[in-house]
Amino acid sequence: MKRDDFLFEIRTEEIPAATLAGARQDLARGIGDALAEEGIAAESIESYGTPRRLVVWARGIPERQSDSESEVLGPSASAAFGPDGKPTRAAEGFARAQKVEVSDLEIVESPRGRTVAVRRRVPGRDAIDVLAKVVPRVIGELTFLKTMRWGKGDRSFVRPVRGLLALYGGRVVPMQILGARAADWTVGHRVLSEGKLTVSSPAEYFQKLRGAYVEPDAEARRAAILDSARRLAAQVGGRIDADSDLAAVLADLVEWPGLVRGSFDPNFLDLPEEITTTAMRVHQKFLPVRGAGGLLPHFIAVMDNADDRRGFVAKGNEWVLNARLADARFFFQEDSRDRLEARLPELDRLAFQDRLGSYAAKTARLEELAATIAGAVGRGDIVLEVRTAARLSKADLVTRMVREFTDLQGVMGGLYARAEGLPEPVWKAISDQYRPQAQGDDPPRDDAGAVLSLADRFDTLAGIFRIGLLPTGSRDPYGLRRAAAGAVAIAVSRRWRVDWSGVLTKAVSLYPAELPGLSERDALAELEKFFAERLRNSLERAGSSYDEISAVLNVKVWDFADAAERAGALTEARRRLDFRALVLAFKRIRNILGAEQLGEPSPDLYREDAERALALDFLQAKALLEELVPTRRYREALEAIASISPSLDRFFVDVLVNCPEEDLKRNRHALLGAIRREFTRIADFSEIVVEK
Amino acid sequence: MLALQRLIAELSAFWESEGCLIEQPYDGPVGAGTMHPATFLKVLGPEPWRCAYVQPSRRPADGRYGQNPFRLAKHLQLQVILKPSPDDVQEMFLRSLERLGIAAAEHDIRFEEDNWESPTLGAWGVGWQVVMDGMEITQFTYFQQAGGIDLSPISAEITYGLERIAMFLNKVDSIYDVPWNESLTYGQIRRVEEEELSRYYFEVADAAFAALLLDRWEAEAKSALAAGLVIPAYEATLACSHQFNVLDARGAVSATDRVGLIRRVRDLACACARAYVSTRGGVPVPANEPEPAATV
Repeated sequence: MKRDDFLFEIRTEEIPAATLAGARQDLARGIGDALAEEGIAAESIESYGTPRRLVVWARGIPERQSDSESEVLGPSASAAFGPDGKPTRAAEGFARAQKVEVSDLEIVESPRGRTVAVRRRVPGRDAIDVLAKVVPRVIGELTFLKTMRWGKGDRSFVRPVRGLLALYGGRVVPMQILGARAADWTVGHRVLSEGKLTVSSPAEYFQKLRGAYVEPDAEARRAAILDSARRLAAQVGGRIDADSDLAAVLADLVEWPGLVRGSFDPNFLDLPEEITTTAMRVHQKFLPVRGAGGLLPHFIAVMDNADDRRGFVAKGNEWVLNARLADARFFFQEDSRDRLEARLPELDRLAFQDRLGSYAAKTARLEELAATIAGAVGRGDIVLEVRTAARLSKADLVTRMVREFTDLQGVMGGLYARAEGLPEPVWKAISDQYRPQAQGDDPPRDDAGAVLSLADRFDTLAGIFRIGLLPTGSRDPYGLRRAAAGAVAIAVSRRWRVDWSGVLTKAVSLYPAELPGLSERDALAELEKFFAERLRNSLERAGSSYDEISAVLNVKVWDFADAAERAGALTEARRRLDFRALVLAFKRIRNILGAEQLGEPSPDLYREDAERALALDFLQAKALLEELVPTRRYREALEAIASISPSLDRFFVDVLVNCPEEDLKRNRHALLGAIRREFTRIADFSEIVVEK
Repeated sequence: MLALQRLIAELSAFWESEGCLIEQPYDGPVGAGTMHPATFLKVLGPEPWRCAYVQPSRRPADGRYGQNPFRLAKHLQLQVILKPSPDDVQEMFLRSLERLGIAAAEHDIRFEEDNWESPTLGAWGVGWQVVMDGMEITQFTYFQQAGGIDLSPISAEITYGLERIAMFLNKVDSIYDVPWNESLTYGQIRRVEEEELSRYYFEVADAAFAALLLDRWEAEAKSALAAGLVIPAYEATLACSHQFNVLDARGAVSATDRVGLIRRVRDLACACARAYVSTRGGVPVPANEPEPAATV
């Protein structure tokens, strides 16, 4: 069948950079899935987009659906036709309802037996008609973190919709979406291009867009930014920090990335580098330039323009950055006049959370909690440093610098603490308390920082869960998922083997008991589920499979480092050892025993050889496990467990577990129960998926 | 050079030519042009409305004794309301820059996500900050809700920060060096006022008096509402909001107080909005009908 391409563009006012990549993909996937459901799957789907347009190019869509047959079942054959073969009233009624003659009725085999049916041939629809129907639906089903209304207020989307292009095989696909009507033209860059660009094919679309200063491919924009930035940096003897995250954000802020290099007053180079680079990166979205000896007084900025003909862009950006750095220097000098300790009273007026009180209250809880954690991880020797760091940890929130440069929270506290002459573990802990910020970030540099970071995370999680503001779907305003994932990462990377439920219980109990919301117990139960999910993500990234993780987490969640070790050992062991027999045996044990609790088996009641052999192998393995598990030699422990597979197998072949003799049966259950109990200290093998 | 007063005149003339009624500033202390009844009340209800005005915006906690080059206890906003938001509202905004001698093609002009929320007004909107050559020059918002009421139609609000634009256009490093007219600077006109306002709000203002005023204005707003007087009730609400800002600058608002105080002001603002919508009972309010919006 003939195939043709579908090109679709929805033009909007500027879509936020943070949602653009997701929207592009969702749209392409939505259209791809809808076409596949309709039986006219595209050969390939590509998505493009700029802040002002989302674009999908679906190639090779068949021009028609194939014809199909529909079948409507009616009464059973015996009810529809008498013994004489004459149609009954049931048959006549059904034919009438289906608007066919009785002679058109057929008899088919259905799950109900021989049944009367009407079959009709349904001709396939043209692709263009299918597209006109499904594309508006896909647009309607796109989800965004935040949508808005505009104009008359009767439509809602991520930003106002301003135009639509929809072409199949060069013809306009008639449709209307959110007030815009499909056409065969688009528009170029807002200020560098004028008028409509009429197009008849995808190739022409891309060519004309690029001619009108719009690069629709985000990856091409990102590559162009990095490329030009490197060149501009090299011209002043420097290089840009490999910051592809920022480049990706910049790529989604412009339709046509042009780059300019600017300079700032070299006197600002004596400010702490964290401040200068934050002002550039975070506030101005500039790429800093680094030379052999450190930061250079240059920056690279991306503009939505082809070139800076009159130098306005470079000059404007230089002016803004110099003003910001002057501001920062002023803040830094002002802040340095007061010690952090002197700022603590101000924390009383800074709200941590509406219902959870001020940062002064949080600081008091952090001191307690950090001391508890230091003890729990076996660093009772640093309790004093940890307490000091906790007490001062939030003081920088009321400094001028952090009020203005919020991204520098922690870092500024660390810088001020160091300048005050506080001990190194203290200022480092303050500086590192928010690490890791995101997955893959560096964790705190030393133990005191790790303890403080954990205390801060646990305190926030405990408080917000306690008042019942659990994250839902994409809504996580307090960043709790990141907080918990960071806590898991810290515990795992430090190999701190602690049952954190105790620490979290303490964290919950540090809040006023009368807070409305979840009870302490419910909050803790929800936290366990929440942490299990974070731990699951972390273990998946480390290479464990879904069932292995379930097996490990079924045993215990709350010691994250231990769970990670058990998962690692299990994943590794499954590559070497054959667990199939063991897993099947465990599934059988689960079916036989359910949740039955049993005592120890009695050797006097063993009757069969296979039974004695299994008991013997089990006792040997058990003895090994008693030595291996407490010392966390999980690999060897798993070998010991796997070693009884043959005797388990034989047991199930030779021995009738549920035998008529009640005492023997109970003893066999007890033996299997003991095996399950002992072996499930590492993983719940019944969770593992094996082929039957 | 583009003096501040010329900037105001040009922008006003531009928006007048786009069908805006030129309103006058609200005659009491407010934190932002949004609080002016010409915005807060007029965005409610169905009739079209286009207006523009300068609003001196008073934020006691932002006072810096006339020393900080960027911060003021009282700054100037030029506020534009377009209801319903026209289809070509972004292009209109770019044309307003052209009027100031800014050719978009010679600059880098971007609309970067920046949503707006006012907890005290029960209002929020979606939009951008407009960034020109790295400088945030304007806040651009599609109002979604005001006084707790979902809006329909939707208004576009364009708020120019006049001092910042003037600093930027004149490339001066301090607000106080901005030329007000051909011969006088912003500093010559306003620095003493900034010094005095800062000293007053940070050192002299009587917190107990401000708290008392807040209570009394709150009661006043309620009795005006009870008498069916929406505008006086709303004016009393704005007075409460200002007293809250005074208390805050004085450091007299604790974390726990803050939530409660904001809620009290918001409750009043929401009650005013509801009363405004209902007491009109379908009576047409004189509206400023613009030309039909251009179609794309």
